[in-house]
Amino acid sequence: MGTSAGSHPPGSPSIPSQTAKVFDTLFRDHVDLVYRFAHRLCGEPETAQDLVQETFLNAYRGFDKFRGDAQVSTWLYTIASRACLRMRRRRKGAPERELSLEEFIPTSEGEFRLQIPIDGLSPEEALQNKQLRDALDTAINQLPKKYKMVLVLRDMEGLSAKEVGTIMGLNERAVKSRLHRARLFVRRQLSAQGHGQTMPDHEHAVLE
Amino acid sequence: MTKRQASGQRPRASMTRHQHNHEKSKCLGILRQLSAYIDDELAGDICHEIRRHLGACPNCEIFVFSLRQTVSLCRHSPVPSLSTVDRSLMRRKILKAAQTR
Repeated sequence: MGTSAGSHPPGSPSIPSQTAKVFDTLFRDHVDLVYRFAHRLCGEPETAQDLVQETFLNAYRGFDKFRGDAQVSTWLYTIASRACLRMRRRRKGAPERELSLEEFIPTSEGEFRLQIPIDGLSPEEALQNKQLRDALDTAINQLPKKYKMVLVLRDMEGLSAKEVGTIMGLNERAVKSRLHRARLFVRRQLSAQGHGQTMPDHEHAVLE
Repeated sequence: MTKRQASGQRPRASMTRHQHNHEKSKCLGILRQLSAYIDDELAGDICHEIRRHLGACPNCEIFVFSLRQTVSLCRHSPVPSLSTVDRSLMRRKILKAAQTR
């Protein structure tokens, strides 16, 4: 197995000790990435750790299925995404709702002018405010899973639309469509939780 | 969305219903493309047209601004991390499960 995210693992090991060695390298180099992704998907540490275990267990058993035509990180993201969907199905049967673009079209001037008041701060500075951080987490956690997964992979993990498509088995157009709805949802939820405000009329012209 | 006029204001008092609907549909068309615009995925002429619209439509401009901020917050959200103890505990559990299952 490669020693860093993006490297390709060698062929399947033939004896258990080699498998364990390969696993150790895989685990050492990618556990932080998988945990970060799992935590962002699950929203809390315990479930995230379950997902990490499930992911690496599946990876351990699937060395021989890894064809090496993708990055190791992409392979692990794919395993984790599928495991996450399976875990969700096991926990609750409610079907996921679709987000329609129409529901985000503002029907009033106020809806257009929802603001994320970070008062000229950089995003890093603004996120030092726990209330804002919690509101952002809540908004993301309220997303239906398939939209959340796209948002997490694209906007939080920083993958390209093509990579997200490979991981989720979608074409780029579908990825972008889900991403747009997910962003609109988070914007609206952030505002609805008191982290948006309408601007007084005299300030409209001041916006760059 | 094209800014609505407060009653009694002169500048757009002469705007016809047709013009208003045209402006409104422009706003909605732009709203559908905002993520692609933010991600720099649109052709130059479309970007130019959007920028021109934004310059003339405060509502759309505010909408783009808040969507950009939303994306930016997502991109900079804190990175969850594992403790060394949790990491090694997890490794042991996985290897144990791999051997027993």
